[in-house]
Amino acid sequence: MRRRNKSCAICESGVRVVDYKDDRLLSRFITERGKMLPSRLSGTCGRHQRQLSTAIKRARELALLPYIKGFGG
Amino acid sequence: MTRQYEAVYIFDSALDEATITEHLDQFHSLLAQPTAAAPACNHWGKRTLAYPIKNHETGYYVIAQFETATEALPEYQRAVKLDESVLRHLIVLNDGPQPVVPEVTPTETKDGDS
Repeated sequence: MRRRNKSCAICESGVRVVDYKDDRLLSRFITERGKMLPSRLSGTCGRHQRQLSTAIKRARELALLPYIKGFGG
Repeated sequence: MTRQYEAVYIFDSALDEATITEHLDQFHSLLAQPTAAAPACNHWGKRTLAYPIKNHETGYYVIAQFETATEALPEYQRAVKLDESVLRHLIVLNDGPQPVVPEVTPTETKDGDS
């Protein structure tokens, strides 16, 4: 059975450059453990998936996103 | 040659705003360029960190956008790194203002083209 091709949520919202400071947008693309969602699950296009990964790594460094959610503390 | 940069600072949340502004002025004085505009600072204020940094649970976030010559950057980075009150900082090339997706207006196709 052919899987329906999801559309890119970021393209649809009109954002062209993913902003690493927008942790609300970024948190929609990580799992509940804090890992990045693969584009085959989130349906994100290649260009935005690359921007997303850079933005998530920067946000993690700035402690806007956790590296591992629910770890210790 | 000057370029656009964006810096995010996480200050120790125990400091008050005046002290933080003082530190920022000190940093940005190292970046002063005759042709460039003054740095634009956006104070996010106190926020809870997603994970503790140097045993601090909260931090005072400030985002600065500035234009400077590439030669002035190392000295500035050294000053920010040596400052105890800055828990962490990140400097990135500013991609410039987000280009707005142009509204695609349906154009009437000429009869011959359909």
